[in-house]
Amino acid sequence: MSLTLRIMLIVACFGTFIYIRRKIRQSKLKMDEAIFWIVFSLILLIMSLFPQIPAWIAFKIGFVSTVNLIYLVIIFLLIIKLFTMSRKVSDLEERLKQLVQNIAIKDNENKNQ
Amino acid sequence: MDKKVLIIIPAYNEAENIEKVVKSIEGRDYVIINDGSTDDTANICRQNHYNFIDLPVNLGLIGAFQTGLKYALQNDYSYALQFDGDGQHQPQFIDGMVSFAEEAGADIVIGSRFVEQKKPFSARMLGSRLLSGLIWLFTHKKIADPTSGMRLYNKKIIAKMASDINLGPEPDTISYFLKCKASVKEFQVEMKERQAGESYLNFSGSIKYMWKMCCSILVLQIMRGR
Repeated sequence: MSLTLRIMLIVACFGTFIYIRRKIRQSKLKMDEAIFWIVFSLILLIMSLFPQIPAWIAFKIGFVSTVNLIYLVIIFLLIIKLFTMSRKVSDLEERLKQLVQNIAIKDNENKNQ
Repeated sequence: MDKKVLIIIPAYNEAENIEKVVKSIEGRDYVIINDGSTDDTANICRQNHYNFIDLPVNLGLIGAFQTGLKYALQNDYSYALQFDGDGQHQPQFIDGMVSFAEEAGADIVIGSRFVEQKKPFSARMLGSRLLSGLIWLFTHKKIADPTSGMRLYNKKIIAKMASDINLGPEPDTISYFLKCKASVKEFQVEMKERQAGESYLNFSGSIKYMWKMCCSILVLQIMRGR
């Protein structure tokens, strides 16, 4: 793992922290989302501060390069996020549909009274 | 009592309990928040002419309770009491909690099981101990029963919680308000086991809840300003 990549990751992690902190202070971000991004950047931060850890894991799994493991971890976490997001979008669409239907039905009841 | 107290009862599928709960608090101001129940809760409320707000979709405890807070704010209540719809909480302690809040000038009064009594060493109380410990670590205040669902909030706190995205009626909010130098006091109450129906926290649910609460306390303490 090259020094450039480590520095880039560390900078990106601190950037994420500062951004999340600002959003939390502005009450613009839900706690669940904030927790995900904080854990995400913590994992990257630990891996770039202590490259021995990913190097050891990469060696045990049989990866040629440590960087591959870093990329794999990032892709894996983002795919999990994507899955939960698409679940949430379906849920939101369903709620929106129910809400619209509910308002429309109530409207109709009021008219008929 | 000269100050107006609103009892907020979030109810999700509490058809078996809700009548008993409302009967027990007869004569007091209350509002039931029916949180998109799939059972008969809404019908029972309608038939008995209870004061209730019918949410068309399920929002969860935080969203449902917040609805009650907005109602309290609009109708100019001095205090809002969080009260379970499952018959766990006992109304004879309400007056005590309110006068205690007025005397002590407290912003939040927690109906606590462990002010005078000792906390038992059971698996269920492990989570409670963990949260107490975390809150003590950050705020140096002792909250014996952070997970108690019977809490009294004054107007200042109601106004803050009614519109905030991250302040639900949970231990993390207590810990946040302690950080904001709000006065949080505990009042000894007793609680019953829930009477019928199923609690929304099973084992994996409890683990998730604890994880979320611990993270949330940490994030609110470290990242959020006063």
